[in-house]
Amino acid sequence: MITTLGTPEPRGSAETPQLSDAALVKAARRGDMRAFERLYRLHSGRVYGLCLRMTRRHDIAEDCTQLTFVRAWKNLSAFEGRSAFGTWLHRIAVNEVLTHARNHGTRSESDEDAVTDAAEDPREGAYDAGEVMDVERALATLPEGSRRVVVLQAVYGYSHEEVADMLGVAVGTCKAQLHRGRKLLRERLGLPEVEES
Amino acid sequence: MSERRDPLDAALGGLHQTVQPARDLWPEVRAAIEADQQVERRTRTSSFGQWRQLAAGVVLAIAASATTYVVTRESMQGQLAQETPAPLVGAMPVSFGGEQLGADYFRAREALDAEFEQRIAALPPATRAKLENDLADLRRAANEIAATLAQHPSDPLLQDLLLSTYRSELKLFADVNEMTTRTLRTDL
Repeated sequence: MITTLGTPEPRGSAETPQLSDAALVKAARRGDMRAFERLYRLHSGRVYGLCLRMTRRHDIAEDCTQLTFVRAWKNLSAFEGRSAFGTWLHRIAVNEVLTHARNHGTRSESDEDAVTDAAEDPREGAYDAGEVMDVERALATLPEGSRRVVVLQAVYGYSHEEVADMLGVAVGTCKAQLHRGRKLLRERLGLPEVEES
Repeated sequence: MSERRDPLDAALGGLHQTVQPARDLWPEVRAAIEADQQVERRTRTSSFGQWRQLAAGVVLAIAASATTYVVTRESMQGQLAQETPAPLVGAMPVSFGGEQLGADYFRAREALDAEFEQRIAALPPATRAKLENDLADLRRAANEIAATLAQHPSDPLLQDLLLSTYRSELKLFADVNEMTTRTLRTDL
C-alpha cells in the first residue's frame, strides 16, 4: 500500500545542463551509457510513480522500473520519435506491470464483467466504509482495472484510446472502468455525487 | 458565470506524477544492461588525447578515401567523367565547438565533406535521401550539444557526446565512401 509519496524532482538544475530527450536518445543509441543515465535521471521518477500506483507495492514498482529502462535500452533503435520519449517509456512500463501481474497471478480485468466483479470484490483494497481517505490512499483501494485506468488517465493524462491501447482493452472497457473508479473515489473521498460524463 | 472545477479532478490533478524511489535504481539498471549486452567499457584516454585521435581519424579517413577514389576512378577508364554530381540538399555547416581539434581538423573535414557531396550524388535517390537525413540529424545534434557545451564547457558528458557525434559523422563519411566504391566496382 502506498503510504507517502515523494515530491517531484525538477527536470534539471543550474548545475545540470539540459539537453533535449532527442539529443540524449541519439547519443544513447550510439551506445553512450551516460546519456542513457541522464535519460534515466530525467524520467525514472515518472516511470516509478506510474508503476507504484499501478502495482501498489514499492518492491514490484522498483522491479518494473528497472525492467522498463533495461528494455528501453535494448529497444532504443525502435524508438522513432513519433511520441515523446516519456510516453514511450510509459508504454514499456505499463507492459512490464501487466507482464508482472500475469506472471505472478494477479488478476487481469479485460472485459466489462470483470470490471463489475472487481468493484464488488472484498479483496480489493482494505476499504472501511464511511472512512474519508486522502486521494492517494483512496486510489490505492480501487479495484485493479479501475485503478490502472484512473492512474493512466486522470493522473498521467492519457486519452481513452491511449489507455485502451496501453492496457490492451477495448475503449469501451476503459471508459467503464474509469466511470466505476471515479464513482468509488467520490465515495471514499467523501465528495458529492456528480453526473459523470 | 464561472465554472467550478470538479473536486475529484482537482484532487487527482493535485497528485505528483513524479515519485522518487527510496533508493537509486540506476546501478542495477546499468548492471543488467551490461550483463545483457556485454557492453565494453572503453578505456578512457585523456580528453585532449581523444580530440587528437578524432582529428587524426579524419585525416586518415580522407587519405584512405582519396586513394580509393583515385584508384577506382582510373580503373573505370573515364566512365565517371560524364556524371555531374548534384549539390547535397540540406547539408548545413555545423558549428563545431571543439577548439582542441585545430585548423588541420577543420581543413580535412571540409575536404571530406566536399567529397561526401560528390560521392553521394552517385547513389540511388532513396539511399541518398536517407544518408542526407542521417547527416542532417547528426549535425543538428552536434549543434545542440556544442551550444550547450559552450554554456557548460567543463561538463564531461557533453564533451563525450560531442566527440561521439563527430565520430558518427566520420563513420557516415566512411560508409558512403565504402558504399560508392562498391557501386563503382560493380559498374565496371
